[in-house]
Amino acid sequence: MSTTMASTFLRSIQKHPLMLYPTALFIRKNGVLYCTMKNTEVQTATQEKQKPRIKVPPRTQTITTNNVSKDYEAVIGIETHVQLNTLTKAFCSCPYNYGSPPNTSVCPICMGLPGALPVLNSKVIEYAVKLGLALNCKLSSNSKFDRKQYFYPDLPKGYQISQFDVPIATGGYLDLDLPVEFGGGHRKFGITRVHMEEDAGKLLHSESGSYSQVDLNRAGVPLLEIVSEPDMRTGIEAAEYAAELQRLVRYLGVSNGNMQEGSLRCDVNVSIRPIGQSQFGTKVEIKNLNSFSSVSRAIDFEISRQVQLHSQGQGDQIIQETRLWEEGAQKTVTMRKKEGLADYRYFPEPDLPGVILTKEYVDAIRDSLPEAPEMKRRRYEKMGLSMQDVLFLANDINVAQFFDATIAKGADVKLATNWIMSDIAAYMKNEKLTINEIKLVPQELAELIASIKGGTISGKIGKEILFELLAKGGTVKGLIKEKDLVQIVDPVEIGKMVDKVLTENPQQLEQYRGGKTKLQGYFAGQVMKVSKGKANPGLLNKILLEKLNAKS
Amino acid sequence: MRMGMGSCRALLVGRGVAATASASIQKTQFFNSSSNSFGLCFSKSVLITCRNNNGVRSCSTASIRSSLEPPDVPRLADTARISLTQNEVEEFAPKIRQVIDWFGQLQDVDLHSIEPAIRADTEGSNLRDDVPETFENREAMIAAVPSFEEQYIKVPKVLNKE
Repeated sequence: MSTTMASTFLRSIQKHPLMLYPTALFIRKNGVLYCTMKNTEVQTATQEKQKPRIKVPPRTQTITTNNVSKDYEAVIGIETHVQLNTLTKAFCSCPYNYGSPPNTSVCPICMGLPGALPVLNSKVIEYAVKLGLALNCKLSSNSKFDRKQYFYPDLPKGYQISQFDVPIATGGYLDLDLPVEFGGGHRKFGITRVHMEEDAGKLLHSESGSYSQVDLNRAGVPLLEIVSEPDMRTGIEAAEYAAELQRLVRYLGVSNGNMQEGSLRCDVNVSIRPIGQSQFGTKVEIKNLNSFSSVSRAIDFEISRQVQLHSQGQGDQIIQETRLWEEGAQKTVTMRKKEGLADYRYFPEPDLPGVILTKEYVDAIRDSLPEAPEMKRRRYEKMGLSMQDVLFLANDINVAQFFDATIAKGADVKLATNWIMSDIAAYMKNEKLTINEIKLVPQELAELIASIKGGTISGKIGKEILFELLAKGGTVKGLIKEKDLVQIVDPVEIGKMVDKVLTENPQQLEQYRGGKTKLQGYFAGQVMKVSKGKANPGLLNKILLEKLNAKS
Repeated sequence: MRMGMGSCRALLVGRGVAATASASIQKTQFFNSSSNSFGLCFSKSVLITCRNNNGVRSCSTASIRSSLEPPDVPRLADTARISLTQNEVEEFAPKIRQVIDWFGQLQDVDLHSIEPAIRADTEGSNLRDDVPETFENREAMIAAVPSFEEQYIKVPKVLNKE
């Protein structure tokens, strides 16, 4: 998971240059020139790379872009649904496992059979409080559940148990650091509310026939809905907000946050307004965003679509609607128009008691909260690590814990960072393993770093040992002993090896002494070979030079 | 053309009532109009229940001074996803009105000094531990699904949620 996460980021960055390509198609199709709104320097840089792809005179494009970013501002808010990783559903004891055969984990409660009564899973409250606290929210000591009526086959009861006017948590914020690749910078986005609700079943629409298929395994699975303030201004900011939420729920252990499985789902609201205007424009909701990069690209596409309409005096064509992101076509399309507000006829859920949080309960959870990603990043920053390093290490809770455990064993901070970010990360990527799956343990990484630093083994040998540890496990001390890898630091012993090499290579020695001093490297290599890689390189070179130059 | 059992559940009233009412639900011929695509719906079952108990009229009392709005039957039908003919609208409007008026008696109770209670008080928190239990009689539930094919509940294709 660790590498995947880290590389997801890199991938989304690498993919970024492709971003304008579909826009370009759109441009040509409509015979109009416009371009995704660009604010940060890095985005401009990406755009430079983009130019060859877009068969449009770059100058025109740049001018359009400048007009866009100069005249309009985008306002973005996000609703995120996080599926909790409880063992059972929210209101019944059915186990939930992603990927179970359809309709196997069901009971009268989650199938909405008459007379069945819901009983709340205590973990749902615990997780809601955890997330509420971690999002710096105010908790409602007395909240309640409400019924939200809607009629659709994925909802067997005909209503969803949710929270309406008194959510469990309100008024918080989320801190994040933008990736260095996107210009960096710290952001604080407001959280309007967090509330508890149940998921609906899954509906599969048949390609041909006139019917749909329902799987109720997911019906009744607990969700937390997190509503942000409309604080984001670009696709990147929105994607980073979503990524930070994912990081947070994983750190807290309340959800696996997996977007592909639908454990974390984002619906974004986008509107634009002329800069300086305080009133919001008409907002459009975008659904079907299955990755952070699609969040970012869908928003940027939508912003340019709206700016386009606005700048052509067709602002009235921006209507309140739900649009769908089409990954293949890289554009948003109308899904449904909103005809007035949906009438959900909320009313208090009579089958469930109120949710009461005592001070003792909340305090106990607060005291047991793990270090949040933001706290971890600030702590790593204070250790003197670069932002690039900080973001890499703190991105994945498991990597961060590995790093923390390594330095807790006394390892040098920068050296530990380098080993994790380079060779260990590369190994995990190649072998498709998470940091928890590799055989190397933090204790041994610390030992390895100390052994190199203390001169017991050379850096080169250290690398060999590392790969052995990654694949097979074991201890540094054990491997050094077993393979007889202790670095040779005895000048006499090294001297003997040098002598041996010089004697065996009289021709090269003559050439060296005749002025071909480049041959020193050759001799050094030969001596190292004789030592089986164990000679201390500094000492080797020093003794070699002395002996090479001595008899001339 | 029913969509799983619960989906026909009422959109009008609370579920506690539904449980009671459903006991007396039969596939009655109360609605046999062809315009009604959903056979079993709660709004109807209330009426059925009342009717079974000596008819709707007995549900209402004479001394009502209700301040409740009269029912907008076409809108109710729309939210319950039922198609009603004009005749049916005219037939049901007074009956539903009577039910509402009956509840409307509660409006006359003086509640000025009472703190609102949105639900019945329960002793303790009434929470459940997160311990999985597999429901034993799944086969019977699945057997009761009107259309079940290849592990899925089969329903009419509905694409627009709102």
